[in-house]
Amino acid sequence: MPTAYPLPTNVSPATVANTASLLRIVAFGLISAAAIASRLFAVINFESIIHEFDPWFNYRATRVLAAKGFYEFWNWFDPTAWYPLGRVVGGTIYPGLMATSGVIYNFLHYFNLPVDIRNICVLLAPGFSALTAWATYMFTAELKDPSAGLLAAAFIGIVPGYISRSVAGSYDNEAIAIFLLMFTFYCWIKALKLGSAFFGTLAAVFYFYMVAAWGGYAFITNMIPVHALVLLLMGRFSGRLYVAYSSWFRFVGFQPVRTSEHMGALGVFGLLQIVAFASLVRSHVSSKQFQNLLAISVVTMGVLGAGAFVVMTYKGWIAPWTGRFYSLWDTGYAKKYIPIIASVSEHQPTAWPSFFMDLQMLIFLFPAGVVMCFRDLRDEHVFVIIYAVVASYFAGVMVRLMLTLTPVVCVSAAVAFSTLLDTYIDPTEPEATTTEAPTAAPTTTTTTATATPDSKKIKKAVAAAQAGNSASSIASSTFNDIVSATTRKGKSSKSKGIWGADARLAVLLNAIGMLAFFVFHCTWVTSNAYSSPSVVLASTNSDGSQHIIDDYREAYYWLRQNTPQDAVVMSWWDYGYQIAGMADRPTLVDNNTWNNTHIATVGKAMSSPEEIAYPILRKHDVDYVLIIFGGLLGYSGDDINKFLWMVRIAQGVWPDEIQEPNYFTPTGEYRVDDRASDAMKNSLMYKMSYYRFAELYGNQNAVDRVRNQAIPKVGPTLDYLDEAFTSENWIVRIYQVRKEDPLGRDLKSANAFEQGKKKKRSKPVSKRRVIVN
Amino acid sequence: MKLFAFLSFLALPLAFAASSDGKEKLTSLAASGNGVIKLNDEIFDLLTAPSRDWSASIQFTALDKRRRCAPCKEFEPSWNAVAKAWTTVPAAQRDHHFFATLDFDDAPGVFQKLNLASAPVVWVYGAARGPYQTGKTQPLKYDFSNGFEAGPLALHLSNHTPVPIPYKAPIDWARWMTVISGLLGFALTIRFIAPVLQSRWTWAIITICTSLTMTGGYMFTRIRGAPYTGADGSWIAGGYQNQFGQEVQVVALIYGTLAFSVVMLTMIVPYQSSPARQRLQIYLWSGVLMLVFSVLVTLFRVKNRGYPFRLLL
Repeated sequence: MPTAYPLPTNVSPATVANTASLLRIVAFGLISAAAIASRLFAVINFESIIHEFDPWFNYRATRVLAAKGFYEFWNWFDPTAWYPLGRVVGGTIYPGLMATSGVIYNFLHYFNLPVDIRNICVLLAPGFSALTAWATYMFTAELKDPSAGLLAAAFIGIVPGYISRSVAGSYDNEAIAIFLLMFTFYCWIKALKLGSAFFGTLAAVFYFYMVAAWGGYAFITNMIPVHALVLLLMGRFSGRLYVAYSSWFRFVGFQPVRTSEHMGALGVFGLLQIVAFASLVRSHVSSKQFQNLLAISVVTMGVLGAGAFVVMTYKGWIAPWTGRFYSLWDTGYAKKYIPIIASVSEHQPTAWPSFFMDLQMLIFLFPAGVVMCFRDLRDEHVFVIIYAVVASYFAGVMVRLMLTLTPVVCVSAAVAFSTLLDTYIDPTEPEATTTEAPTAAPTTTTTTATATPDSKKIKKAVAAAQAGNSASSIASSTFNDIVSATTRKGKSSKSKGIWGADARLAVLLNAIGMLAFFVFHCTWVTSNAYSSPSVVLASTNSDGSQHIIDDYREAYYWLRQNTPQDAVVMSWWDYGYQIAGMADRPTLVDNNTWNNTHIATVGKAMSSPEEIAYPILRKHDVDYVLIIFGGLLGYSGDDINKFLWMVRIAQGVWPDEIQEPNYFTPTGEYRVDDRASDAMKNSLMYKMSYYRFAELYGNQNAVDRVRNQAIPKVGPTLDYLDEAFTSENWIVRIYQVRKEDPLGRDLKSANAFEQGKKKKRSKPVSKRRVIVN
Repeated sequence: MKLFAFLSFLALPLAFAASSDGKEKLTSLAASGNGVIKLNDEIFDLLTAPSRDWSASIQFTALDKRRRCAPCKEFEPSWNAVAKAWTTVPAAQRDHHFFATLDFDDAPGVFQKLNLASAPVVWVYGAARGPYQTGKTQPLKYDFSNGFEAGPLALHLSNHTPVPIPYKAPIDWARWMTVISGLLGFALTIRFIAPVLQSRWTWAIITICTSLTMTGGYMFTRIRGAPYTGADGSWIAGGYQNQFGQEVQVVALIYGTLAFSVVMLTMIVPYQSSPARQRLQIYLWSGVLMLVFSVLVTLFRVKNRGYPFRLLL
């Protein structure tokens, strides 16, 4: 065999195998290190802190679990959330995440390693990302070979699409869910390949874990049945499929299967039994009879099954699709009927720059990898293909589901990339069948037996080659090549390979360049876009140094230090978990969003004039109202920008009282300057946001830096609320709700009376009185 | 005090007379207009008279070609369908609610008076007296957050009508026919297209095309109703979280080209039987890969201005 570059000849195969496995272990160690390290930007740039919103609740729940044990945790009723309703926490959450950290915590403490529960929570996601890399390695190794597996592990270790949900401090269900997802899929593939009940059961066990950890488990519930169904339709029924699926489903079936999400799994299970029975029958009756029998029974079963499904859904025996799930298919559904779901930013559809930002070059290697799956098309490749189609649709519909697309993109891109590397590193050169144009590399003209079976095709190719090297003939011969490549069955007998070292070098350098670019890209995206805790913000000073904006914690700690333990704080639901976690005060609504009416009540209070809002506040015992205002700093994620959702959600419940168009100018613009509509100017949210804002600018024009609009000089006045606290950069503003006037006047007239009498009374005095109170 | 009471007592029958007179006129107008009253200044004042004992839903629109109001034209059929559905209600309830359309060109004065600057707009005037009195003097606005379809409109307006509007969405015969004929055609030709369906490459093409359009952001344009190009003819939308329809095509094409060159390099070129042509193709496809990737990065820099990297371009 001619080779493109010299190979050492005195190495024994055992040495090669040992070195390869050592290298694999070293590479995998490095990949894990890189995966963990790149998630620590947040800890290094800021500090070891829990991020964003939901993680604060998970953290709080984990603290309860660690302090009081699992049984207390399971029965935990939280009276401070959803005041005055309270919330049964134990039964309404996915406890997998908290249980995992609880186990780690107890494990470490058993060995007398006194690690703080917060640090476990902060570092859980990076730790699990290493496990995810391992699961992806195993999965991809089943698809192609361990070298592709290593590439896939490296890709998923640093790809921003996964880092976005798993940086240190992002203590959310997704942190462990992606590992569980990939490992369940690996077990399923393995079970299918071996026909192994053991791996099938293992898949079921990890599926259980997934059910306990993340709402996205429905993805697995439906992926595996769909895979089984497609294999059936392709005529690939086998004993292995039967064993694998049945052992998986036997355990899944224990669950309450009376929801629509699980019906597909049940249906496929039934179908498999029928087909298994049919193949048994086939071995006993004649082929003609069998065909008739099969056709009739399949049609009957299909009609009966569909009918039963409709009847049971109609009768209410099967729970219908949940709203979140339904909104994936009918994309207009959420906006019409469940504005809360539509209002969450991570439920928005994905524009193409997000795909590129999160996956970079993998996004175009991904289709190439899928093509290669089609070339081999073993059972596991079918799985990847289905996964690719389904996940790319889901990721397009919702930004957050980019997370489910990322693993398959990494796997598929790794298959493509490692095939590319394999092809161009492989030192063997093909045996040339023509003598034309001798190249720099040594070629041989001996036609051995291995090259002859496809001689017709070769002759054709030779003829095409000899027709000339003009561009048109290249195009047509390229087309011929594609046709011959696609019609080729299995591994070609035609000799395959690359001539010469320069061509190899060109492709490999190109590939290495792309990999390096990918690493730079991932590092940049991770450090710039995904490592902000969003509780602590950072800006850059004019000299390039970092300036930390810590308004949230400043305000939450103010609440914690200066208000009574049972003071009820009202805010928009985004901040509920944070207030509970950091300020430890009861909240009206939080990120759990289970009670639409309660959220709409808050929305109504925020969007109504003071006189209407005040009774609502008093009825709910609200002592403080907390809002986020970014106008001073130009922080765009503030409440005025979320305000329309409050209006919309309130309108959903009180269509007569709150109407969205009233908050726009007659020309349909959303404005906060002097052209703002009356409803807007009188709303509690507007007043609280811009109260005394203009004073800050003295004689200059007050400008809202988010909306880029000038705020009127004479700002809004507040009669029913007192400003209690405003953070350093005005991001958080807290107002205290006044008690009813002791003389029984309404607060507006009481206020007017007081101001008429004591003109000199300055604001700070009243502020101090509030604090003493 | 007594005098006032007496006066108003006197005035009451007069007011009733006026409103019942007007009501007859409105009823006949509605009947002749297929359920919709066509308004001008005068009839508008009558319809929204402060002494009305009926409620009214009014569509403010601008259907004239010169006004170039595409949404108006889109909404018009829905409005008429809902109004038509209302005519099937028994007269006892029907005559307490009227549907009306006011075109800008018939009564620009009303638009000015009401401070309306856009169309279409739907306002509901509640009854000022009588059995269905609402006690609200201000008209209620319908917001088009659910689009221009008739279904949500009827549902919303039913809150303000004496009885719910018996609107039923018409059966979309054309759609059903298409589906049925498509299925029939499929069943008839299955013998001939079966080889195509059984070919893995047919499915490969379907799969690849699906994932390319999805990763090109097609669902974003579908859900947000993004236009194909910008109003000023630009094909690339500014901003990281925004895009036009044409970007889907361009981006999917770029991804497709890049994937294709990788596939060529790995699956086709190695089977090449002539060294010279193979080398040429390797350089060709490597060049395409680099160049198109550079174009892609450049495109991404347009969308995300803070992106620090660039390739050849």
